[in-house]
Amino acid sequence: MHLSSLDNLFWALSFFGHCILLGVLLIRGRASAFPVFTTLISVNIVRTIVLFFTLRYGSKGEYFYTYWTLAFVDMALQLALSYELATHVFQPLGAWAPDVRRSFLALVATSVVLAVGLAWLAAPPTKTLRLAIMIRGDLFTSALMSEIFVAMVALSVTLGLPWRTHVARLAQGMGVYSVYGIVTDAAHTFFPGNSAYRTLSQMQIGLYIVCLGYWVVTLAMEEPAPRKLPAELHEELRALQERAALVLRGLRTTESAS
Amino acid sequence: MRQVIFLFIVGAFVSTLIGIALYYMMRARRASKNAWQILLGRLRQIDREKFAEVALDLLDDQPEEHSHLEPDRIFEMIGGMNGLDALEENCDVLIDLATYVQRWYPDALQISEELRLNAREIKWHIGRLRGASATGHLREQFPVYAQRAVATYYLMTRSLLVLYEGVKLPEFAELQQAL
Repeated sequence: MHLSSLDNLFWALSFFGHCILLGVLLIRGRASAFPVFTTLISVNIVRTIVLFFTLRYGSKGEYFYTYWTLAFVDMALQLALSYELATHVFQPLGAWAPDVRRSFLALVATSVVLAVGLAWLAAPPTKTLRLAIMIRGDLFTSALMSEIFVAMVALSVTLGLPWRTHVARLAQGMGVYSVYGIVTDAAHTFFPGNSAYRTLSQMQIGLYIVCLGYWVVTLAMEEPAPRKLPAELHEELRALQERAALVLRGLRTTESAS
Repeated sequence: MRQVIFLFIVGAFVSTLIGIALYYMMRARRASKNAWQILLGRLRQIDREKFAEVALDLLDDQPEEHSHLEPDRIFEMIGGMNGLDALEENCDVLIDLATYVQRWYPDALQISEELRLNAREIKWHIGRLRGASATGHLREQFPVYAQRAVATYYLMTRSLLVLYEGVKLPEFAELQQAL
């Protein structure tokens, strides 16, 4: 595979961008809040190194299998990341409300069905099955990630759940990158080896590097410290809630007796 | 042909995703700009004094939890199913009013969540009353269910007032008048 100087520049920028981001995550103590995201960034650093050497010293087949094995790990981590961000948004106090979890899982299931449908509809004019699977796999991941992030935005606004600064920035970056990914991956089905696809693909890498920079800056900054409700207020509210629970229990008893 | 269909579907898919994301982001922004006035404007008018009387008739009498009010009087004070319809809609507003506090106090989420669960249960029972209304049994079931729903609603409003007063939000006075 021939790499242009722009490809090499992107490769280097992506590698150093990931290294700087990992440094920010570890030094600013964000890794404990976002373990999956930290793992994803670490895996991307390893992936860049491994693919670099496989391309230099390995065969075409070895590069293909290494690329796809690591791409699969990347996809699994991206899905885990969407769950990690969802837990920050939907269980800020440490527990999911039962119906919120159900709604979120229902949205994820719908997203999987839609993404599978979109990937199935794609008809890449490729000579090899391997390339066809590769194109469809990319399209599936981009579609699924975009849907999940949009679903998270919709569900959180509906429920009135605010996004903490760091979570919002991570989701924004991943969301924009994934939506653009659908365009690139769809273009791949029309002109697999075409220069138009190559340009779109380079724009996608450029966009990802911009996202990396965005994450480095926003994660390096501190979130505004939230204010806490006074302890006595909690007590008073709990007492009122207990009374409400008692009344509702009475209602349930009446219900079951009738 | 399949490629053209695919192109059309991808275009529609991406546009829909972007459209949904923009819609919800704008909705969140709009809500945060005029949130307070919009929220209060959504509260449906109910006879607050009569609702409070119906609620306190039950709440002041614990643990017996018996009503001193006659069933017909309860029906009349609440305003029948119309009153409960208004109460049902107001439950959603109460949740949003608690959510409003979360901007400054994220741990107010707990109270929003509790109000949401209460509201869900109230709505379920109001749904049952609608069913009873359809089968002609509303008058028998109304006092028991409706009075408890009103009492729970009343406690939800008290929780909100305690919350707003406790964190000294300037909107407290306005909320007190509205609830």
